[in-house]
Amino acid sequence: MLTMNNDSKQTATHLLEDIPPFVFFTGKGGVGKTSLSCAVAVRLARQGQHVLLVSTDPASNIGQVFDQAIGPVSTAVTGVQGLWAVEIDPQTAAIGYRERIVGPVRSTLPDDVIASIEEQLSGACTTEIAAFDEFTGLLTDPKITDAYDHVIFDTAPTGHTIRLLQLPGAWSGFIDTNPAGASCLGPLAGLDKQRRRYADAVTTLSDPTRTRLVLVARPQSSSLTEAARTHVELAATGLNQQYLVINGVLPVQASADPLAAAVRNREQAALTAMPDSLTALPIDQIPLKGFNLVGIDALNRLFDDDDAADDAADAGSADFAVDLPGLSALVDEIADTGHGLVMMMGKGGVGKTTIAAAVAVALAERGLPVHLTTTDPAAHLTETLAGSLPTLRVSRIDPHAESAAYSEHILATKGKDLDAQGRAALEEDLRSPCTEEIAVFQAFSRKIREARTAFVVMDTAPTGHTLLLLDATGSYHRDVTRHTVPGQRVTTPMMQLQDPDRTKVIIVTLPETTPVLEAARLQDDLQRAGITPWAWVINNSLAAAHTTAPLLRQRAAHELTEIRAVLDRHANRIALVPLQTQEPIGIQRLSELTNHTNCLAAPHIW
Amino acid sequence: MTSVEVFDPALCCDSGVCGADVDQDLVTFSAEFGYATKQGATIQRYNLAQQPIEFATNPVVAGFLQRSGPQSLPLTLVDGQIALAGRYPRRAEIAGWCGLTEPAALPLLATGCCGGGGSC
Repeated sequence: MLTMNNDSKQTATHLLEDIPPFVFFTGKGGVGKTSLSCAVAVRLARQGQHVLLVSTDPASNIGQVFDQAIGPVSTAVTGVQGLWAVEIDPQTAAIGYRERIVGPVRSTLPDDVIASIEEQLSGACTTEIAAFDEFTGLLTDPKITDAYDHVIFDTAPTGHTIRLLQLPGAWSGFIDTNPAGASCLGPLAGLDKQRRRYADAVTTLSDPTRTRLVLVARPQSSSLTEAARTHVELAATGLNQQYLVINGVLPVQASADPLAAAVRNREQAALTAMPDSLTALPIDQIPLKGFNLVGIDALNRLFDDDDAADDAADAGSADFAVDLPGLSALVDEIADTGHGLVMMMGKGGVGKTTIAAAVAVALAERGLPVHLTTTDPAAHLTETLAGSLPTLRVSRIDPHAESAAYSEHILATKGKDLDAQGRAALEEDLRSPCTEEIAVFQAFSRKIREARTAFVVMDTAPTGHTLLLLDATGSYHRDVTRHTVPGQRVTTPMMQLQDPDRTKVIIVTLPETTPVLEAARLQDDLQRAGITPWAWVINNSLAAAHTTAPLLRQRAAHELTEIRAVLDRHANRIALVPLQTQEPIGIQRLSELTNHTNCLAAPHIW
Repeated sequence: MTSVEVFDPALCCDSGVCGADVDQDLVTFSAEFGYATKQGATIQRYNLAQQPIEFATNPVVAGFLQRSGPQSLPLTLVDGQIALAGRYPRRAEIAGWCGLTEPAALPLLATGCCGGGGSC
């Protein structure tokens, strides 16, 4: 049942009801997990409960939220009786984990050996496991469970992690005789002494009287689809008590201007079309707020439905006078090179597909040969583009079909002679999140070759870590270089990606705190693989759009900090793309997206 | 009893499928390893990414890494002596070293660029 709370004085009625000892918030970066977890923690503490708030956000800003330093040791929050907070940085935890393994051998093993170990331990899996290791202590330590009525986490483990912990083979006697023999335990293998603790943690997670999982999403179809996927995956591991919070819904009374009205319509349409698997969950909607969720008062107001828009103090006071170009400047530069590969990188939901399509259309409109290859399942993009531009060709890759085919192929070929136990272990390895990335990238690789004579625009690409692993351990590059006759030039896909004359990587992000931080981390990852991103595109900017709606203008003012951070610290080149009134679908609207002149001089904002 | 030790390169997981291009020899060896263990062989496997201390404290392995680098792994020691390098041992080889009785009844799985003949 979809429940609308827009008329009540308080939102989030389901979320706040009968809260169990452990609450986990999960969702993609930027959906508001930290704000929600802080607000719930404050509320419980105000009711006289003892509450521990745990942040595992690598850029945790709960210190900023409460205006005091928190850090890795639990700290009493000033001004809220009964509330303590602790910040676990998964990156630091991962570094600590890596150092526990590498430190003892650093002086004895050669540098290239150390480097190969460190790269293997720099992936997302290590970080996730290291973070999980940190917070299992909080779930199972009697000192914690006795001292606090509630522990609120701003993150949750993924289904893959939980399944690994549940694998009977992982924790049976198998591991005693084979320290590294359990399949794909990866970095966990070094921690087998703590398996009792992991087992207890998993039991706690799947006990509905003790644990509630809160899926957090934005009122956008991609965000809701992602939430549905997480819901299904975690439900399959036994985490059955799940709630859905849709955060940042634009209130009807704030939608007076055309842009705001369009945003409102788009959000309501996304909510109506919400995936079936979610509609049965208890659902709360939290209206968009104009203020930043900093300070205890602001947190208290998160769940109040006070039709917001506290006096729109003029949001145009920022002294931000840099002239930011739109997409067309990037396209001009790309077009000059005549051919090459253009890859959009970034987290899901930032608009990689849209930006890729806009760049492809703009190149094709100049008569250049372009192949746009997309993982966007939305067939309408292909339909709209088909045949409309003579030099534009579109192909589509279905990530789910690719990974299913890849897994099947591996099982049927490499796994064909395995016994049942070996096959089960291989199947679990293949359910790793890396598999989809690899499968999709292989499909893309088949198209990279074309970039020698034409433009190939890709809407997604694997992370630098995956590229490095593909390169370091993949046999392709090695075989090619080994069998090369001296004097003959061979280019492997990896070499092509590292060559700035052949490949331009564009990082796509949103002008919000968490997405910008995630994009910066992606850039670091790529630089490790010898790939320097060519440009950044900041998508869906309210600051670059015309709006008179006070709520949206307040949000626009908050974007300036993030835009400035990208400009000053991260990007060589930048393009700012305004939030569109209409979904940028179809040749004409995509073309407008590129050729839009940013209204940076618009006095009501700048 | 003869002891066999296999030193893997830095791996994401033992079958290698969750991190990179899938190496048939690695998938096969993971299964062979499980089989040999069940047969009671004294066989150990060490992953460079997880147990580098085993590499550093064994002078034979440390010396091998100094001379040949991490790209020359895997390395197999039988009773502490180098028996094989650059590829994984096959079922028949493990059976021979460990004195297992029934190697012929089971399929031999070596494939890939080395083929069945080991002429890599």
